[in-house]
Amino acid sequence: MTVHITATAASSARTVPRGLVPASAVVGGTLISLIGLTWDIQWHSDVGPDTFFTLPHLFLYAGSAISGLASLAVVLLTTADSKRGKVVDPMVGGRAVGVFGRTFAAPVGYLISGIGAALFLVYGLWDQWWHGLYGFDAVIDSPPHIGLLLSISITMVGAVMIFAVARDQRWGTYGVAAAAGTLLAFSMVTVLGLRALPGGAVNTVNAGSAFFSVMILFMGAYVLKRRGGALAVGIVVALLQAVFWWFSPWATDVYADATGLPLRDYADGIPGLPNMIPMSLILVAVAVELLHKVPAWLTGAIGGVIITACAPLQRMLVQGSNFPALERYVATVVAGAVLGALAGVLGRRFGHMLRHLAPAKEDSHA
Amino acid sequence: MRKTLLGLAGTVALLFGLAAPALAFEPVNVVHTEKVQAGPYDLTIGFSTWPVKAMQSLDFTFAPENGIEGKKGTLTLFREGVEDDGGPLARHPRKREVWGLDIFALPEPGTWTMRFEVDGPAGAGTGELKNLQVMEQPGPPMGLSWAISTIPLFGLIALIVVAWRRTRAAVD
Repeated sequence: MTVHITATAASSARTVPRGLVPASAVVGGTLISLIGLTWDIQWHSDVGPDTFFTLPHLFLYAGSAISGLASLAVVLLTTADSKRGKVVDPMVGGRAVGVFGRTFAAPVGYLISGIGAALFLVYGLWDQWWHGLYGFDAVIDSPPHIGLLLSISITMVGAVMIFAVARDQRWGTYGVAAAAGTLLAFSMVTVLGLRALPGGAVNTVNAGSAFFSVMILFMGAYVLKRRGGALAVGIVVALLQAVFWWFSPWATDVYADATGLPLRDYADGIPGLPNMIPMSLILVAVAVELLHKVPAWLTGAIGGVIITACAPLQRMLVQGSNFPALERYVATVVAGAVLGALAGVLGRRFGHMLRHLAPAKEDSHA
Repeated sequence: MRKTLLGLAGTVALLFGLAAPALAFEPVNVVHTEKVQAGPYDLTIGFSTWPVKAMQSLDFTFAPENGIEGKKGTLTLFREGVEDDGGPLARHPRKREVWGLDIFALPEPGTWTMRFEVDGPAGAGTGELKNLQVMEQPGPPMGLSWAISTIPLFGLIALIVVAWRRTRAAVD
Protein backbone atom coordinates (compact mmCIF):
# COMPACT_ATOMS: atom_id res chain seq x y z
CA MET A 1 0.00 0.00 0.00
CA THR A 2 2.82 2.36 0.94
CA VAL A 3 4.51 1.64 -2.37
CA HIS A 4 1.29 2.36 -4.24
CA ILE A 5 0.70 5.68 -2.49
CA THR A 6 4.30 6.76 -3.07
CA ALA A 7 4.03 5.85 -6.74
CA THR A 8 0.80 7.80 -7.12
CA ALA A 9 2.27 10.84 -5.39
CA ALA A 10 5.38 10.66 -7.54
CA SER A 11 3.41 10.30 -10.77
CA SER A 12 1.14 13.24 -9.94
CA ALA A 13 4.23 15.42 -9.47
CA ARG A 14 5.49 14.55 -12.95
CA THR A 15 4.98 16.93 -15.82
CA VAL A 16 5.51 14.22 -18.46
CA PRO A 17 3.04 11.31 -18.30
CA ARG A 18 4.59 8.01 -17.25
CA GLY A 19 5.65 5.94 -20.25
CA LEU A 20 5.44 8.79 -22.77
CA VAL A 21 9.21 9.29 -23.14
CA PRO A 22 10.22 5.72 -24.08
CA ALA A 23 7.07 5.30 -26.21
CA SER A 24 7.96 8.48 -28.12
CA ALA A 25 11.53 7.23 -28.61
CA VAL A 26 10.25 3.95 -30.11
CA VAL A 27 7.73 5.57 -32.46
CA GLY A 28 10.24 8.34 -33.28
CA GLY A 29 12.77 5.67 -34.23
CA THR A 30 10.26 4.00 -36.54
CA LEU A 31 9.52 7.37 -38.16
CA ILE A 32 13.25 7.89 -38.75
CA SER A 33 13.35 4.44 -40.39
CA LEU A 34 10.46 5.45 -42.65
CA ILE A 35 12.22 8.73 -43.57
CA GLY A 36 15.39 6.76 -44.37
CA LEU A 37 13.44 4.33 -46.54
CA THR A 38 11.60 6.95 -48.60
CA TRP A 39 14.87 8.86 -49.09
CA ASP A 40 16.82 5.72 -50.02
CA ILE A 41 14.25 4.59 -52.58
CA GLN A 42 14.30 8.05 -54.17
CA TRP A 43 18.09 8.13 -54.13
CA HIS A 44 18.32 4.88 -56.08
CA SER A 45 15.76 5.93 -58.66
CA ASP A 46 17.00 9.49 -59.20
CA VAL A 47 20.76 9.39 -58.47
CA GLY A 48 22.06 5.86 -58.01
CA PRO A 49 25.52 5.36 -56.53
CA ASP A 50 25.44 3.47 -53.27
CA THR A 51 27.65 2.70 -50.30
CA PHE A 52 27.02 1.31 -46.83
CA PHE A 53 27.29 4.84 -45.36
CA THR A 54 24.90 6.96 -47.42
CA LEU A 55 22.83 9.38 -45.34
CA PRO A 56 19.53 7.60 -46.11
CA HIS A 57 21.13 4.34 -44.93
CA LEU A 58 22.27 6.05 -41.72
CA PHE A 59 18.66 7.10 -41.09
CA LEU A 60 17.55 3.49 -41.57
CA TYR A 61 20.18 2.19 -39.13
CA ALA A 62 19.60 5.04 -36.64
CA GLY A 63 15.82 4.45 -36.61
CA SER A 64 16.17 0.84 -35.54
CA ALA A 65 18.98 1.74 -33.11
CA ILE A 66 16.87 4.40 -31.36
CA SER A 67 13.80 2.14 -31.09
CA GLY A 68 15.97 -0.79 -30.01
CA LEU A 69 17.92 1.10 -27.35
CA ALA A 70 14.74 2.66 -25.93
CA SER A 71 13.16 -0.81 -25.75
CA LEU A 72 16.26 -2.26 -24.12
CA ALA A 73 16.33 0.55 -21.54
CA VAL A 74 12.69 -0.08 -20.57
CA VAL A 75 13.26 -3.85 -20.33
CA LEU A 76 16.33 -3.37 -18.11
CA LEU A 77 14.60 -0.83 -15.85
CA THR A 78 11.54 -3.06 -15.56
CA THR A 79 13.78 -6.04 -14.75
CA ALA A 80 15.57 -4.01 -12.06
CA ASP A 81 12.23 -2.90 -10.55
CA SER A 82 10.88 -6.39 -10.59
CA LYS A 83 14.03 -7.82 -8.93
CA ARG A 84 13.75 -5.18 -6.22
CA GLY A 85 10.17 -6.26 -5.64
CA LYS A 86 8.73 -2.94 -6.87
CA VAL A 87 5.30 -2.86 -8.46
CA VAL A 88 5.71 -2.78 -12.23
CA ASP A 89 3.27 -0.40 -13.87
CA PRO A 90 1.61 -2.28 -16.77
CA MET A 91 0.71 1.07 -18.35
CA VAL A 92 4.32 1.24 -19.58
CA GLY A 93 4.27 -1.12 -22.54
CA GLY A 94 1.81 -3.66 -21.10
CA ARG A 95 2.21 -6.62 -18.78
CA ALA A 96 5.78 -7.70 -18.06
CA VAL A 97 6.62 -11.20 -19.29
CA GLY A 98 9.59 -13.32 -18.26
CA VAL A 99 12.36 -13.68 -20.83
CA PHE A 100 14.97 -16.48 -20.55
CA GLY A 101 13.04 -17.92 -17.64
CA ARG A 102 12.80 -15.03 -15.21
CA THR A 103 16.14 -13.45 -16.08
CA PHE A 104 14.43 -10.41 -17.61
CA ALA A 105 11.00 -8.91 -17.03
CA ALA A 106 9.96 -7.28 -20.30
CA PRO A 107 6.79 -5.26 -20.92
CA VAL A 108 5.30 -7.08 -23.89
CA GLY A 109 5.14 -4.02 -26.20
CA TYR A 110 8.80 -3.14 -25.64
CA LEU A 111 9.76 -6.81 -25.94
CA ILE A 112 8.28 -6.93 -29.46
CA SER A 113 9.76 -3.56 -30.54
CA GLY A 114 13.15 -4.65 -29.16
CA ILE A 115 13.01 -8.04 -30.91
CA GLY A 116 12.31 -6.21 -34.19
CA ALA A 117 15.38 -4.01 -33.69
CA ALA A 118 17.55 -7.04 -32.83
CA LEU A 119 16.29 -8.88 -35.93
CA PHE A 120 17.23 -5.82 -37.99
CA LEU A 121 20.85 -6.36 -36.93
CA VAL A 122 20.74 -10.06 -37.86
CA TYR A 123 19.15 -9.36 -41.25
CA GLY A 124 21.72 -6.59 -41.79
CA LEU A 125 24.40 -9.29 -41.69
CA TRP A 126 22.36 -11.53 -44.04
CA ASP A 127 22.04 -8.55 -46.40
CA GLN A 128 25.80 -7.90 -46.29
CA TRP A 129 26.46 -11.53 -47.22
CA TRP A 130 23.87 -11.31 -50.00
CA HIS A 131 25.48 -8.18 -51.48
CA GLY A 132 28.86 -9.92 -51.37
CA LEU A 133 27.42 -12.69 -53.52
CA TYR A 134 25.01 -10.80 -55.78
CA GLY A 135 26.67 -7.38 -55.94
CA PHE A 136 25.36 -4.08 -54.63
CA ASP A 137 22.06 -4.29 -56.42
CA ALA A 138 19.47 -1.64 -55.69
CA VAL A 139 16.64 -4.18 -55.74
CA ILE A 140 14.19 -3.24 -53.01
CA ASP A 141 12.46 -6.64 -52.97
CA SER A 142 15.46 -8.94 -52.58
CA PRO A 143 14.90 -11.56 -49.85
CA PRO A 144 17.27 -9.93 -47.28
CA HIS A 145 15.73 -6.49 -47.91
CA ILE A 146 12.28 -7.94 -47.24
CA GLY A 147 13.75 -9.52 -44.07
CA LEU A 148 15.02 -6.08 -43.01
CA LEU A 149 11.68 -4.43 -43.80
CA LEU A 150 9.80 -7.13 -41.87
CA SER A 151 12.13 -6.60 -38.88
CA ILE A 152 11.37 -2.87 -38.87
CA SER A 153 7.66 -3.71 -39.22
CA ILE A 154 7.89 -5.82 -36.05
CA THR A 155 9.32 -2.82 -34.19
CA MET A 156 6.39 -0.80 -35.58
CA VAL A 157 3.92 -3.43 -34.33
CA GLY A 158 5.61 -3.11 -30.92
CA ALA A 159 5.08 0.67 -31.10
CA VAL A 160 1.35 0.17 -31.76
CA MET A 161 1.18 -2.20 -28.76
CA ILE A 162 2.98 0.29 -26.49
CA PHE A 163 0.53 3.10 -27.31
CA ALA A 164 -2.48 0.78 -27.30
CA VAL A 165 -1.86 0.19 -23.59
CA ALA A 166 -2.19 3.93 -22.96
CA ARG A 167 -5.10 4.47 -25.38
CA ASP A 168 -7.30 5.97 -22.67
CA GLN A 169 -4.90 8.87 -22.30
CA ARG A 170 -4.65 11.58 -24.90
CA TRP A 171 -1.02 10.80 -25.79
CA GLY A 172 -1.91 7.13 -26.14
CA THR A 173 -4.74 7.92 -28.59
CA TYR A 174 -2.52 10.11 -30.77
CA GLY A 175 0.28 7.58 -30.44
CA VAL A 176 -1.88 4.70 -31.71
CA ALA A 177 -2.86 6.76 -34.77
CA ALA A 178 0.78 7.79 -35.40
CA ALA A 179 2.22 4.29 -34.87
CA ALA A 180 -0.49 2.55 -36.94
CA GLY A 181 -0.15 5.16 -39.72
CA THR A 182 3.62 4.69 -39.80
CA LEU A 183 3.23 0.90 -39.95
CA LEU A 184 0.67 1.23 -42.75
CA ALA A 185 2.82 3.55 -44.88
CA PHE A 186 5.89 1.35 -44.35
CA SER A 187 4.01 -1.86 -45.22
CA MET A 188 3.23 -0.49 -48.68
CA VAL A 189 6.94 -1.05 -49.47
CA THR A 190 7.15 -4.46 -47.79
CA VAL A 191 4.31 -5.77 -49.98
CA LEU A 192 6.62 -5.39 -53.00
CA GLY A 193 7.98 -8.76 -51.81
CA LEU A 194 4.70 -10.25 -53.10
CA ARG A 195 6.03 -9.79 -56.63
CA ALA A 196 7.85 -13.07 -55.98
CA LEU A 197 4.46 -14.87 -55.73
CA PRO A 198 2.70 -16.22 -58.80
CA GLY A 199 -0.54 -14.25 -58.95
CA GLY A 200 -1.95 -15.40 -62.29
CA ALA A 201 -4.13 -12.58 -63.55
CA VAL A 202 -4.04 -10.81 -60.16
CA ASN A 203 -1.67 -7.92 -59.45
CA THR A 204 -0.32 -9.36 -56.18
CA VAL A 205 1.21 -6.06 -55.03
CA ASN A 206 -2.07 -4.13 -55.41
CA ALA A 207 -4.04 -6.92 -53.74
CA GLY A 208 -1.44 -7.09 -50.92
CA SER A 209 -1.55 -3.30 -50.46
CA ALA A 210 -5.33 -3.52 -50.11
CA PHE A 211 -5.08 -6.34 -47.57
CA PHE A 212 -2.49 -4.71 -45.32
CA SER A 213 -3.84 -1.17 -45.51
CA VAL A 214 -7.41 -2.28 -44.68
CA MET A 215 -6.16 -4.56 -41.89
CA ILE A 216 -3.99 -1.92 -40.23
CA LEU A 217 -6.66 0.78 -40.63
CA PHE A 218 -9.26 -1.47 -38.96
CA MET A 219 -6.79 -2.45 -36.26
CA GLY A 220 -6.15 1.20 -35.39
CA ALA A 221 -9.86 2.03 -35.50
CA TYR A 222 -10.83 -0.85 -33.22
CA VAL A 223 -8.02 -0.19 -30.72
CA LEU A 224 -9.27 3.36 -30.32
CA LYS A 225 -12.92 2.22 -30.55
CA ARG A 226 -14.25 5.73 -30.90
CA ARG A 227 -15.70 7.82 -33.70
CA GLY A 228 -12.92 9.24 -35.83
CA GLY A 229 -10.43 6.45 -35.02
CA ALA A 230 -10.17 5.17 -38.60
CA LEU A 231 -10.10 8.72 -39.90
CA ALA A 232 -7.25 9.59 -37.53
CA VAL A 233 -5.13 6.74 -38.93
CA GLY A 234 -6.12 7.72 -42.50
CA ILE A 235 -5.13 11.34 -41.86
CA VAL A 236 -1.74 10.32 -40.42
CA VAL A 237 -1.06 8.25 -43.55
CA ALA A 238 -2.21 11.09 -45.84
CA LEU A 239 0.03 13.54 -43.94
CA LEU A 240 3.04 11.22 -44.24
CA GLN A 241 2.27 10.81 -47.95
CA ALA A 242 1.99 14.57 -48.49
CA VAL A 243 5.16 15.43 -46.54
CA PHE A 244 7.19 12.68 -48.21
CA TRP A 245 5.85 13.70 -51.62
CA TRP A 246 7.75 16.94 -51.12
CA PHE A 247 10.59 15.61 -48.93
CA SER A 248 11.83 12.58 -50.91
CA PRO A 249 12.78 14.34 -54.19
CA TRP A 250 13.91 17.47 -52.31
CA ALA A 251 16.24 15.59 -49.91
CA THR A 252 17.57 13.54 -52.81
CA ASP A 253 18.39 16.68 -54.82
CA VAL A 254 20.05 18.37 -51.83
CA TYR A 255 22.10 15.27 -50.97
CA ALA A 256 23.15 14.77 -54.59
CA ASP A 257 24.27 18.42 -54.71
CA ALA A 258 26.16 18.07 -51.43
CA THR A 259 28.03 14.99 -52.65
CA GLY A 260 28.65 16.44 -56.11
CA LEU A 261 26.64 13.74 -57.90
CA PRO A 262 24.39 14.50 -60.87
CA LEU A 263 20.81 13.29 -61.23
CA ARG A 264 20.33 10.38 -63.61
CA ASP A 265 19.43 11.10 -67.20
CA TYR A 266 15.66 10.58 -67.52
CA ALA A 267 15.11 10.75 -63.72
CA ASP A 268 11.40 11.56 -63.49
CA GLY A 269 11.47 12.81 -59.89
CA ILE A 270 8.18 11.03 -59.11
CA PRO A 271 8.16 10.36 -55.36
CA GLY A 272 8.71 6.59 -55.13
CA LEU A 273 7.53 5.55 -51.67
CA PRO A 274 4.70 8.12 -51.34
CA ASN A 275 3.31 6.92 -54.67
CA MET A 276 3.14 3.34 -53.33
CA ILE A 277 0.70 4.54 -50.63
CA PRO A 278 -2.91 4.38 -51.90
CA MET A 279 -4.32 7.91 -52.09
CA SER A 280 -7.76 6.28 -51.86
CA LEU A 281 -7.08 5.18 -48.26
CA ILE A 282 -8.74 8.32 -46.95
CA LEU A 283 -11.93 7.24 -48.77
CA VAL A 284 -11.70 3.87 -47.04
CA ALA A 285 -11.25 5.63 -43.68
CA VAL A 286 -14.37 7.73 -44.34
CA ALA A 287 -16.27 4.58 -45.37
CA VAL A 288 -15.25 2.85 -42.12
CA GLU A 289 -16.51 5.85 -40.14
CA LEU A 290 -19.82 6.04 -42.00
CA LEU A 291 -20.45 2.29 -42.01
CA HIS A 292 -19.51 1.61 -38.39
CA LYS A 293 -22.70 -0.39 -37.84
CA VAL A 294 -22.04 -2.63 -40.86
CA PRO A 295 -20.16 -5.93 -40.23
CA ALA A 296 -16.36 -5.56 -40.47
CA TRP A 297 -16.09 -8.06 -43.33
CA LEU A 298 -18.40 -5.99 -45.52
CA THR A 299 -16.70 -2.66 -44.80
CA GLY A 300 -13.36 -4.41 -45.30
CA ALA A 301 -14.48 -5.77 -48.68
CA ILE A 302 -15.61 -2.27 -49.71
CA GLY A 303 -12.21 -0.93 -48.59
CA GLY A 304 -10.38 -3.62 -50.58
CA VAL A 305 -12.43 -2.78 -53.69
CA ILE A 306 -11.78 0.97 -53.32
CA ILE A 307 -8.03 0.46 -53.01
CA THR A 308 -7.58 -2.07 -55.83
CA ALA A 309 -9.96 -0.18 -58.15
CA CYS A 310 -8.19 3.16 -57.60
CA ALA A 311 -4.56 1.91 -57.70
CA PRO A 312 -4.24 1.97 -61.53
CA LEU A 313 -5.98 5.37 -61.61
CA GLN A 314 -3.33 6.76 -59.24
CA ARG A 315 -0.57 5.43 -61.51
CA MET A 316 -2.27 6.94 -64.57
CA LEU A 317 -2.56 10.27 -62.78
CA VAL A 318 0.99 10.38 -61.41
CA GLN A 319 3.06 8.45 -63.93
CA GLY A 320 0.90 8.64 -67.02
CA SER A 321 0.73 4.82 -67.07
CA ASN A 322 -1.74 2.95 -69.25
CA PHE A 323 -4.85 1.37 -67.78
CA PRO A 324 -4.17 -2.35 -67.20
CA ALA A 325 -5.81 -5.13 -69.25
CA LEU A 326 -9.47 -5.41 -68.18
CA GLU A 327 -9.14 -9.07 -67.16
CA ARG A 328 -6.22 -8.24 -64.84
CA TYR A 329 -8.04 -5.22 -63.43
CA VAL A 330 -11.22 -7.17 -62.64
CA ALA A 331 -9.31 -10.13 -61.18
CA THR A 332 -7.35 -7.78 -58.90
CA VAL A 333 -10.49 -5.94 -57.73
CA VAL A 334 -12.18 -9.29 -56.94
CA ALA A 335 -9.07 -10.36 -55.00
CA GLY A 336 -9.17 -6.96 -53.27
CA ALA A 337 -12.79 -7.59 -52.18
CA VAL A 338 -12.01 -11.05 -50.77
CA LEU A 339 -8.76 -10.01 -49.07
CA GLY A 340 -10.37 -6.77 -47.85
CA ALA A 341 -13.18 -8.78 -46.18
CA LEU A 342 -10.60 -10.98 -44.47
CA ALA A 343 -8.52 -7.94 -43.52
CA GLY A 344 -11.56 -6.21 -42.02
CA VAL A 345 -12.31 -9.22 -39.79
CA LEU A 346 -8.65 -9.70 -38.81
CA GLY A 347 -8.07 -5.98 -38.21
CA ARG A 348 -11.14 -5.78 -35.96
CA ARG A 349 -9.97 -8.79 -34.00
CA PHE A 350 -6.39 -7.48 -33.71
CA GLY A 351 -7.80 -4.19 -32.43
CA HIS A 352 -9.70 -6.04 -29.71
CA MET A 353 -6.61 -8.08 -28.87
CA LEU A 354 -4.58 -4.89 -28.51
CA ARG A 355 -7.22 -3.40 -26.19
CA HIS A 356 -6.71 -6.42 -23.99
CA LEU A 357 -3.10 -5.35 -23.42
CA ALA A 358 -4.23 -2.73 -20.89
CA PRO A 359 -5.14 -5.03 -17.99
CA ALA A 360 -6.44 -2.72 -15.30
CA LYS A 361 -9.01 -0.96 -17.45
CA GLU A 362 -10.21 -4.13 -19.17
CA ASP A 363 -10.49 -6.00 -15.89
CA SER A 364 -12.52 -3.25 -14.33
CA HIS A 365 -14.93 -3.45 -17.26
CA ALA A 366 -15.11 -7.24 -17.13
CA MET B 1 21.27 19.59 -20.81
CA ARG B 2 24.45 21.15 -22.18
CA LYS B 3 26.29 17.85 -21.77
CA THR B 4 23.51 16.03 -23.62
CA LEU B 5 23.66 18.53 -26.48
CA LEU B 6 27.46 18.30 -26.62
CA GLY B 7 27.19 14.52 -26.67
CA LEU B 8 24.66 14.62 -29.49
CA ALA B 9 26.77 17.10 -31.50
CA GLY B 10 29.81 14.87 -30.99
CA THR B 11 27.90 11.81 -32.18
CA VAL B 12 26.65 13.61 -35.29
CA ALA B 13 30.15 14.94 -36.05
CA LEU B 14 31.60 11.45 -35.62
CA LEU B 15 28.93 9.94 -37.89
CA PHE B 16 29.53 12.49 -40.62
CA GLY B 17 33.28 12.30 -40.13
CA LEU B 18 33.15 8.56 -40.69
CA ALA B 19 30.57 8.79 -43.44
CA ALA B 20 32.40 11.40 -45.52
CA PRO B 21 35.45 9.31 -46.56
CA ALA B 22 33.26 6.21 -46.94
CA LEU B 23 31.14 8.07 -49.50
CA ALA B 24 33.84 7.53 -52.13
CA PHE B 25 31.92 5.54 -54.71
CA GLU B 26 33.48 2.53 -56.39
CA PRO B 27 34.85 3.27 -59.87
CA VAL B 28 33.42 1.33 -62.83
CA ASN B 29 35.85 -1.48 -63.48
CA VAL B 30 35.37 -3.08 -66.91
CA VAL B 31 36.78 -6.64 -67.02
CA HIS B 32 35.31 -7.82 -70.33
CA THR B 33 34.17 -6.14 -73.54
CA GLU B 34 32.14 -7.08 -76.61
CA LYS B 35 31.75 -5.17 -79.89
CA VAL B 36 28.46 -4.30 -81.60
CA GLN B 37 28.01 -2.55 -84.94
CA ALA B 38 24.86 -0.40 -84.84
CA GLY B 39 24.69 0.98 -88.39
CA PRO B 40 27.46 3.57 -88.67
CA TYR B 41 28.33 3.36 -84.96
CA ASP B 42 30.91 1.10 -83.34
CA LEU B 43 29.73 0.28 -79.83
CA THR B 44 31.90 -1.26 -77.13
CA ILE B 45 29.89 -3.07 -74.47
CA GLY B 46 31.73 -3.29 -71.15
CA PHE B 47 30.97 -5.67 -68.27
CA SER B 48 32.28 -5.21 -64.70
CA THR B 49 31.84 -8.95 -63.99
CA TRP B 50 32.37 -11.84 -66.38
CA PRO B 51 30.77 -14.28 -66.98
CA VAL B 52 27.34 -12.81 -66.26
CA LYS B 53 25.20 -14.72 -63.75
CA ALA B 54 21.45 -14.38 -63.22
CA MET B 55 20.49 -11.93 -60.44
CA GLN B 56 24.10 -10.86 -59.91
CA SER B 57 24.32 -7.11 -60.40
CA LEU B 58 27.10 -5.48 -62.39
CA ASP B 59 27.94 -2.30 -64.27
CA PHE B 60 27.30 -2.34 -68.00
CA THR B 61 28.87 0.37 -70.17
CA PHE B 62 27.89 1.18 -73.77
CA ALA B 63 30.52 3.34 -75.46
CA PRO B 64 30.20 4.58 -79.07
CA GLU B 65 33.60 5.01 -80.76
CA ASN B 66 33.50 8.80 -80.93
CA GLY B 67 31.72 9.40 -77.66
CA ILE B 68 28.04 9.94 -76.81
CA GLU B 69 27.96 13.67 -77.64
CA GLY B 70 25.13 14.45 -80.06
CA LYS B 71 23.86 10.86 -79.99
CA LYS B 72 20.85 9.25 -78.39
CA GLY B 73 19.33 5.83 -78.49
CA THR B 74 17.46 3.01 -76.83
CA LEU B 75 18.39 -0.35 -75.40
CA THR B 76 16.00 -3.31 -75.50
CA LEU B 77 16.71 -6.57 -73.70
CA PHE B 78 15.38 -9.91 -74.95
CA ARG B 79 15.53 -13.24 -73.13
CA GLU B 80 15.25 -16.28 -75.42
CA GLY B 81 13.90 -13.92 -78.10
CA VAL B 82 11.14 -12.46 -75.90
CA GLU B 83 11.30 -8.76 -74.94
CA ASP B 84 12.06 -8.38 -71.23
CA ASP B 85 13.11 -4.82 -70.50
CA GLY B 86 14.20 -1.64 -72.19
CA GLY B 87 14.52 2.10 -72.13
CA PRO B 88 16.48 5.08 -73.38
CA LEU B 89 20.28 4.91 -73.25
CA ALA B 90 21.30 7.00 -70.22
CA ARG B 91 24.73 8.05 -69.01
CA HIS B 92 26.26 5.75 -66.40
CA PRO B 93 25.98 7.59 -63.03
CA ARG B 94 29.60 6.77 -62.13
CA LYS B 95 31.08 7.00 -65.64
CA ARG B 96 29.29 9.91 -67.23
CA GLU B 97 31.25 9.91 -70.49
CA VAL B 98 29.53 6.70 -71.65
CA TRP B 99 26.04 5.23 -71.54
CA GLY B 100 25.44 2.39 -69.13
CA LEU B 101 23.41 0.51 -66.55
CA ASP B 102 24.63 0.75 -62.96
CA ILE B 103 24.51 -2.22 -60.59
CA PHE B 104 22.02 -3.88 -62.90
CA ALA B 105 21.16 -7.60 -62.86
CA LEU B 106 19.63 -9.80 -65.53
CA PRO B 107 16.95 -11.70 -63.62
CA GLU B 108 16.98 -15.10 -65.34
CA PRO B 109 19.60 -17.44 -66.77
CA GLY B 110 19.56 -18.19 -70.50
CA THR B 111 20.48 -16.58 -73.79
CA TRP B 112 19.97 -12.83 -73.80
CA THR B 113 20.11 -10.29 -76.62
CA MET B 114 20.82 -6.57 -76.27
CA ARG B 115 19.44 -4.47 -79.12
CA PHE B 116 20.81 -0.95 -79.54
CA GLU B 117 19.08 1.66 -81.64
CA VAL B 118 21.37 4.67 -81.98
CA ASP B 119 20.62 7.99 -83.65
CA GLY B 120 23.34 10.58 -84.24
CA PRO B 121 25.16 12.81 -86.72
CA ALA B 122 25.85 9.86 -89.05
CA GLY B 123 22.18 8.82 -89.10
CA ALA B 124 20.31 6.01 -87.36
CA GLY B 125 21.50 2.45 -86.87
CA THR B 126 20.52 -0.73 -85.09
CA GLY B 127 22.81 -3.44 -83.76
CA GLU B 128 22.50 -6.46 -81.50
CA LEU B 129 24.69 -8.25 -79.03
CA LYS B 130 23.42 -11.78 -79.53
CA ASN B 131 24.01 -14.94 -77.54
CA LEU B 132 24.85 -13.25 -74.27
CA GLN B 133 24.97 -16.31 -72.05
CA VAL B 134 23.68 -15.68 -68.54
CA MET B 135 24.55 -18.49 -66.12
CA GLU B 136 22.50 -19.85 -63.23
CA GLN B 137 22.18 -17.59 -60.17
CA PRO B 138 24.85 -17.98 -57.48
CA GLY B 139 24.05 -18.79 -53.85
CA PRO B 140 21.30 -20.83 -52.24
CA PRO B 141 18.01 -21.60 -54.03
CA MET B 142 15.53 -18.74 -53.84
CA GLY B 143 13.08 -20.85 -51.81
CA LEU B 144 15.64 -21.16 -49.03
CA SER B 145 16.55 -17.46 -49.20
CA TRP B 146 12.88 -16.52 -48.93
CA ALA B 147 12.35 -18.98 -46.07
CA ILE B 148 15.20 -17.36 -44.10
CA SER B 149 14.01 -13.84 -44.92
CA THR B 150 10.39 -14.36 -43.90
CA ILE B 151 11.15 -15.78 -40.43
CA PRO B 152 10.08 -12.43 -38.82
CA LEU B 153 6.72 -12.72 -40.60
CA PHE B 154 6.14 -16.25 -39.34
CA GLY B 155 7.29 -15.16 -35.88
CA LEU B 156 4.70 -12.39 -35.98
CA ILE B 157 2.01 -14.84 -37.10
CA ALA B 158 2.98 -17.16 -34.21
CA LEU B 159 2.67 -14.24 -31.77
CA ILE B 160 -0.75 -13.37 -33.18
CA VAL B 161 -1.90 -17.00 -32.82
CA VAL B 162 -0.79 -17.09 -29.17
CA ALA B 163 -2.42 -13.70 -28.43
CA TRP B 164 -5.58 -14.80 -30.27
CA ARG B 165 -5.90 -17.96 -28.18
CA ARG B 166 -5.20 -16.17 -24.91
CA THR B 167 -7.76 -13.45 -25.54
CA ARG B 168 -10.42 -15.68 -27.10
CA ALA B 169 -12.62 -15.76 -24.01
CA ALA B 170 -12.25 -12.05 -23.34
CA VAL B 171 -12.87 -10.85 -26.90
CA ASP B 172 -15.54 -13.26 -28.19
